[in-house]
Amino acid sequence: MASAELNNTTIPSVTKSITQVKINQFESCGILERENIHNSPELAQRRLGTTYTLASGRMSVAFASESLRKFFGADVFNHTGTVNLKFLRPVKEGDTITVGGSVNSRQEVENGTMVIVDLYCENQNGDKTAIGQGTAIVS
Amino acid sequence: MAEAKLPELDYDKLEIGEELGTYEYLLTEEILESFRASVEDPDAVFPTIGVKHDATALAMCYQDNIGGVNAGNEMEFHNPPIPGKKITVTGRVHDKYLRRDKPYLVIEATAIDEDGRLLEKMRTYQMKKPDEVGKKWQAQS
Repeated sequence: MASAELNNTTIPSVTKSITQVKINQFESCGILERENIHNSPELAQRRLGTTYTLASGRMSVAFASESLRKFFGADVFNHTGTVNLKFLRPVKEGDTITVGGSVNSRQEVENGTMVIVDLYCENQNGDKTAIGQGTAIVS
Repeated sequence: MAEAKLPELDYDKLEIGEELGTYEYLLTEEILESFRASVEDPDAVFPTIGVKHDATALAMCYQDNIGGVNAGNEMEFHNPPIPGKKITVTGRVHDKYLRRDKPYLVIEATAIDEDGRLLEKMRTYQMKKPDEVGKKWQAQS
């Protein structure tokens, strides 16, 4: 579990296999039942010009959140955590996504020390699918 | 009675700061379990990531016939939502701009529960020319 002392420390890595079943299950969390580029191959073809649907970028946000929660501890991350990701490359069925990262810096804030973590997501080919940062405030 | 048809989303007419209204829903155990299974995380406590509060707010205001691709997300986690409690979401257009000749729309939402607990804030950067995805990536698949 992180403390304010740790610099350049790597965060626990998580690896996830992407399947259309899981993509559809993620989309089923929505409160509006609607087709989109994640659950409809036809709509993905029409709007994106791809022969595949895309996994929502928010799935990667969830993966990164898990990694950060394991690093900071649930109590800290679930109440002070942030995730900020920029998506670089489509994620689709058959991909395996690994989240990793390391502590970049710390800064003193009103209610403690904000620990800033550089994040990345990469696929089975080592291609980056997302980059960004996550933070949490430790006391 | 027929449902009122939503106005079609016109990117050029969207205004920065435009309110996307407020809606509420009941967070169920089912949503939580679906979310946990979909991301293979039995300890996940923010199934609201999967509800996509900001995109839902937009979809409740406009019929988007062009769609978009998620180019980025920013999320703040304040308090885990509690299944069985109602969540109220307020959405807004945060920004829109052109980058490398592609239009982007930035939407955001804040969620609180029925007890007034702030749950999360999120922001999504949508690239509103989704056919660029196929042009760039399909051949590489």
